[in-house]
Amino acid sequence: MSTSDWAELAELALNRIRAAGADYGDIRVQNSTIQTIEGEDRRIASIRDAEDKGFGIRVLYHGGWGFAASSILSLEEVPRVADLAVDIARGSASLAREKVILVEEPVHRDRVVTAHRIDPFAVSLEQKSALLCEVMDYVQRQSEVVRSRASLWARRDRKLFMSSEGSQLDFDLLAVQGEFSATAKHDGRFASRSFSTPHLRTGYELIEDAQLLAEAPRVAAQAVEKVKAPAVQPGRYDLVLDGEHLSLTMHESCGHPSELDRALGYEANYAGTSFLTPDKRGTFRYGSPLVNLVADNTEPETLAATGYDDDGVACQKWDIVREGVFVGYCTNRETAARIGETRSRGSNRADGWGTVPMVRIANIGLEPGGESLEDLISDVKRGIYIEGHGSYSIDQRRYNFQFGGDAFWLIEDGKRTHMLRDVIYHGITPDFWRSCDGVADRAHRRRFGFITCGKGQPGQSGWMTHAASPARFRRVDVIKG
Amino acid sequence: MIAPGKAWPKMTGREEFRFLADLVLRRSTGDDTIVALQDQHSGTTRFANSQVTQNVDSRRGTLTVTVAFDGRRGTASTTDFTAGALQNVVDRAERTAKLSPKDPEYLPPPEGRSFPHRATARPETVAAGPARRLEYANEAIGQCRIENLQTAGIVSSSLSSVGIAAGNGLFAFEERTDARFSLTVQAGDATGWSAAAHRSLDHLRIQERTLVAIGKAKRSGELRELPPGRYSVILEPAAVAGLLTWVLWTLDAKSHDKGTSPFAGKLGRAVFDKRLTLQNLPDHSDLFGVGFTSEGLPSEMSTWVEQGILKQLAYDRFTARNHGVKTIPTMEAPCLSATRPSVPRIQDLVKQADRAILVTNFWYVRTVNPADLTLTGMTRDGTFLVEDGQIVAAVKNFRFHESPLRAFNQLEAWTEPAEAVTSETGKLLVPAMLIRDFNFSSVTKF
Repeated sequence: MSTSDWAELAELALNRIRAAGADYGDIRVQNSTIQTIEGEDRRIASIRDAEDKGFGIRVLYHGGWGFAASSILSLEEVPRVADLAVDIARGSASLAREKVILVEEPVHRDRVVTAHRIDPFAVSLEQKSALLCEVMDYVQRQSEVVRSRASLWARRDRKLFMSSEGSQLDFDLLAVQGEFSATAKHDGRFASRSFSTPHLRTGYELIEDAQLLAEAPRVAAQAVEKVKAPAVQPGRYDLVLDGEHLSLTMHESCGHPSELDRALGYEANYAGTSFLTPDKRGTFRYGSPLVNLVADNTEPETLAATGYDDDGVACQKWDIVREGVFVGYCTNRETAARIGETRSRGSNRADGWGTVPMVRIANIGLEPGGESLEDLISDVKRGIYIEGHGSYSIDQRRYNFQFGGDAFWLIEDGKRTHMLRDVIYHGITPDFWRSCDGVADRAHRRRFGFITCGKGQPGQSGWMTHAASPARFRRVDVIKG
Repeated sequence: MIAPGKAWPKMTGREEFRFLADLVLRRSTGDDTIVALQDQHSGTTRFANSQVTQNVDSRRGTLTVTVAFDGRRGTASTTDFTAGALQNVVDRAERTAKLSPKDPEYLPPPEGRSFPHRATARPETVAAGPARRLEYANEAIGQCRIENLQTAGIVSSSLSSVGIAAGNGLFAFEERTDARFSLTVQAGDATGWSAAAHRSLDHLRIQERTLVAIGKAKRSGELRELPPGRYSVILEPAAVAGLLTWVLWTLDAKSHDKGTSPFAGKLGRAVFDKRLTLQNLPDHSDLFGVGFTSEGLPSEMSTWVEQGILKQLAYDRFTARNHGVKTIPTMEAPCLSATRPSVPRIQDLVKQADRAILVTNFWYVRTVNPADLTLTGMTRDGTFLVEDGQIVAAVKNFRFHESPLRAFNQLEAWTEPAEAVTSETGKLLVPAMLIRDFNFSSVTKF
């Protein structure tokens, strides 16, 4: 079935929604292809090629939402599902005390295609499997490395969005990622070190440019060094956090609290609410004056830069925290209206045709400062430099957090000395960001993306990229994990 | 309101799955071919701020085909069940298999056999649609409005057709239903929570659960801040499940063999208090037992931890063969129980405690140290100080830093196993527990 056939089916659905007297309706028809290759301990454990096709129809009727979806894409099924979505919306409206109002958005008719050099689906499976096997071989050549894992992932989403307001958006989006890890054993302990490309909207060139093979010996050696390293002595340390590590810290402690649906209580039963309530906007000191957290859904290759969100709103760039003060939210057309904003920030996303869109964290990044990584470290008397992701947890209002990391080095008298293990730091979000007194410059900026951000009931996975240069935080409480 | 009788296209039935599987098996040229079906019709009514915010109904059918040639394996799936799409999914699986390296751990599909027949689908859940879910949501919202409290939650129901078939005669098919209810009641800044999950929508006990959450929220009004440290804790079943789930997830035999598991060297040795026993009880009517697993293995009753001793590991088929394990134990219906004497209710544990923290639930539980299974997470939606056998105050939420392998060895008292459902776990039967010296490492601001 071609996309022009999709458009005919979509128009059929929209006509029924309009005829039913709905306030608004939209339909997403989507075909996703996902290829996953997973290796474990020198063998390819699985190769999966999934195709997931279907459509979802969203209806707003007298201020109440309804949504219905089906994997049966046919002339009979589309009107049936459209009618069901209307019926469900009528039911919601019957209980609505506060009607849903959508802020205005211009009508868009556009096509968005991911720019890429090498189609990841055109690269042979043999080549990909061989790469992973070779990486695992390299990793396990290192004595004391007992386990290895390696994987490649690619996804293509062809999607049509059409709304009752006249928007028609055609998407052909790619995303790619690769990673591997080594686990070393020593003296009854074990520890892992990993390497990961970001998830980005680009082609297989991301994997080629990352040179996984060249990284393998270093990662294996550092796994061994890590497992043999001394455990951290609990206490207060200055921390220098690399960009990849910060992506998770930002995601949890800034990204989620800046989702307006959470701040308004929509997620109270699951993902939680937010300490960044609307009354704090424009006045609350979230971080030090060096902290500028910017949402940018327009940066090429990043996961949330899809041209338009699932409300049909154009992607934008805006401030979340400016010079340490909380100033903005991630919003959709529904929640923006609830705080008096006149336009959505375009952060409404579903994870597929079968799920309803909700407010999602944008590509929130830490704006670079003016120092080098060496400058940040040289001004630390007793501290820890942390790379990559480890353990993570945060409370349901996003105050009390705790993070580990993938690798840790002790900093003494301005110099990175040796590795440590079992480092865990914890704190309260605004106290932590207020302790930031240095951010490295743009040359050190790294992007890292997430495709497994859990939210919603039923649960959905959100996609976004967080970019940062290394940053320094003073006197953070560190415990042994 | 929602019109009755607007049925969805019929779900894939046993004979339809057999027809689809035969079609795939005939078209496949592989040495081995496995066909798996997951066809689900599900719906959720979600509410927040005491009104419906999301109301969804979805049908998704997925057919997954795995083909192997001489130990080279490929898997492809599709949501399109038309004849052309089935040929395409077979072609993709075969193409993938032919280009895959040979897997030294490859095993042909399990032999065909009969599987236990279990009542996995309940007609009242099958019949439930958006109108029934809305009715239940309205019931919970209405109860909270009477108390002038805000609430957020879900009512969901689903029917799944699940099947697996292979060219060697393996064939299994089952319909499974699932119904869930959970809500968080907000009394100003305070929250209370309760949840239920069952095969039957009629067993969700909306009113009872709502009253529990209301009670917790109303009791959480004025918060006392206690310092971090080691406390005796009374963990309600959901909190116990939050810890136990990580035990279940880390029992895999391969990691055990490689020495990269918290259970390395502990098979046959004590891992829990000697009064605790962990079993898979697929016939228990309150659990989500199944007849067969996604690998085509039967789910049977099995004992994993017996009187504190670790008896079983979670085997993949290759590792099981290496270990000479003939019947691979599964864990779809976990039940943790303790020997008598137990007390009937959580309130009885409260009465026994001189000073303890009562924990309703844990949130965002993650591994801190995989070697000893140290976990972290937050208390949530009802954390109270107990003194001299009574709840005396609500307290600010704690972060814990503790291993279940340590905590489940500090057992003081317990109840009979009760239903435990959380947003981060499946459904289990576990006792509420009074545990000494539980480590709270920090406190949050609410």
